[in-house]
Amino acid sequence: MITTEEIKALARLAKLQFDDARCEEFSKEFEEIVAFAGEINSSVVGGTSEIREIGGREIALSDLRADEVEPSLSAEKITSNVEAENGCFTVRRVVK
Amino acid sequence: MKGLLTRLSAMLRSGETSSYELTKKYIAEIEKSNPSLNAYVHLTFERALKDAETADKMLKNGVGGALTGIPYALKDNICTDGLLTTCCSRILCDFKPYYNAAVVEKLNSVGAVLLGKTNMDEFAMGSTSETSCYGAPLNPRNLSYVTGGSSGGSAAAVAANIAPYALGSDTGGSIRQPAAFCGVVGFKPTYGAVSRYGLIAYGSSLDQIGPITHTVSDAALVYDAIRGADVRDMTSAATDAAPTVLDPEVKGIKIALADEFFEGLDGEMKALIEGVVKKYEAYGAEVSSVSIPSLKTALPVYYIIACAEASSNLGRYDGIRYGFRAADYSDVDDMVVRTRTQGFGKEVQKRIMLGTYVLSSGYFDAYYKKACLLREKLKGEMDKVFEKFDLLIAPTAPVTAFKRGYSGGNAIETYHSDVCTVPVNIAGLPAISIPCGKTKTGLPVGMQIIGDRFADSAVLSAAYFCEAESVCGEEIYEGDVRL
Repeated sequence: MITTEEIKALARLAKLQFDDARCEEFSKEFEEIVAFAGEINSSVVGGTSEIREIGGREIALSDLRADEVEPSLSAEKITSNVEAENGCFTVRRVVK
Repeated sequence: MKGLLTRLSAMLRSGETSSYELTKKYIAEIEKSNPSLNAYVHLTFERALKDAETADKMLKNGVGGALTGIPYALKDNICTDGLLTTCCSRILCDFKPYYNAAVVEKLNSVGAVLLGKTNMDEFAMGSTSETSCYGAPLNPRNLSYVTGGSSGGSAAAVAANIAPYALGSDTGGSIRQPAAFCGVVGFKPTYGAVSRYGLIAYGSSLDQIGPITHTVSDAALVYDAIRGADVRDMTSAATDAAPTVLDPEVKGIKIALADEFFEGLDGEMKALIEGVVKKYEAYGAEVSSVSIPSLKTALPVYYIIACAEASSNLGRYDGIRYGFRAADYSDVDDMVVRTRTQGFGKEVQKRIMLGTYVLSSGYFDAYYKKACLLREKLKGEMDKVFEKFDLLIAPTAPVTAFKRGYSGGNAIETYHSDVCTVPVNIAGLPAISIPCGKTKTGLPVGMQIIGDRFADSAVLSAAYFCEAESVCGEEIYEGDVRL
């Protein structure tokens, strides 16, 4: 049984807000989904103990690109979608 | 047999038509059909006509490739510089990326012409495309039914011939299932064969871009144009430099049928797939039954891993850097919470919650870690199958298209429609869905051909056999050029 308090705590972690009405609506469905996810508990993992890279490829440090600063997008471009000033994202005052 | 794209390319190269004229024809068709189908959510006609003029210059100079001058549609989770890319979510409702996805760069470089962005389930989370904030696209084969999802708009656009081809993305079947529901071809390449740079992430270890087309030969042409290693996606890998050669010869190829894929499958759908399998046998393929026990847990394994990755990937939508921001808030933290609560739809919130749950302290080992280990187990079982066999044949989905309004029902039932497609993503394999007939009610049925990692050309060739030998009759839909 997943309680309303647990759903609210999860929502806080997920940066979502679930009021009482939404919690009530959501709890039954969420319980079914968690039970569905829990179906894996009936399976035995067996001899598998390692989690490989997808595709079975090992990625060595030498495969990574050099950590060098390269020309990239301008701050003006990156902030073009949202509230911004002088190439900086703006939000309401944080420090009073 | 030549596909639609080969025919269009020949017409463009011979001067029978121009890219500008062809683009105008498709624009006229979109204006006629899209208001009822809702396949496209953003139209880019002005830019398309400009791009078509550029493509005509390329054609005149004899440069470019097989797709030069041919219009196409793009799923709305693939970034396009300066053009709306919303993932059909309120939270990205006015987001215009400042760069192109790698696949868009590749198509631009050969003079492909973008007609618009297509409808999809919000953040690709769904199997009906009904979670789109723009409303669902409709299935051109029967308007009372959904297109499937999440690349429903791309499948509908191709099926209705308001795009010669489209790109979709496939995290758990999102290219193949809507292709099956709409009676077109959908190809999910091997994980890593196509760069994911610029694909808005859902489940990064599962996501893959691929084509939705009228024919298998069209799918191979588009696949060749978009594949290859990319330094900006470290999971991408170099593929064969040579173009894919489609060989319809199936004599001697070894095909496996996994019992688990066919359990509980509707008799009519099973008979259609078995009919195709018999043709492979008649032409010399060796067909055997196998068991892949881990297929039984693939669905919850998929939902745990995909939602865990989604809860992390979607953490970036904070109202500061992209799109929508809630109007009223008391402080920054309140702004983030309100933005996400108002910006994400219910299905997306549900999956973020599940992902947060399986990653949270106390549940991590029981759910996420165990799912990762079961993923390895399934991959191991698949590896064993491909040690002995060339291909697996399976249904694409255990059902045909749902009636509209389905996703408002039971979530778990909807998730079950992905049961045949998710194992492919879990193991990173290539797979194609081709139409293999229709039910008595007239709904298309899809058949899936699955191969080993990077055996994409073997998958395409085996599918091409059906097209070249007209195994499925008229069901491999070639498209009406309408010129």
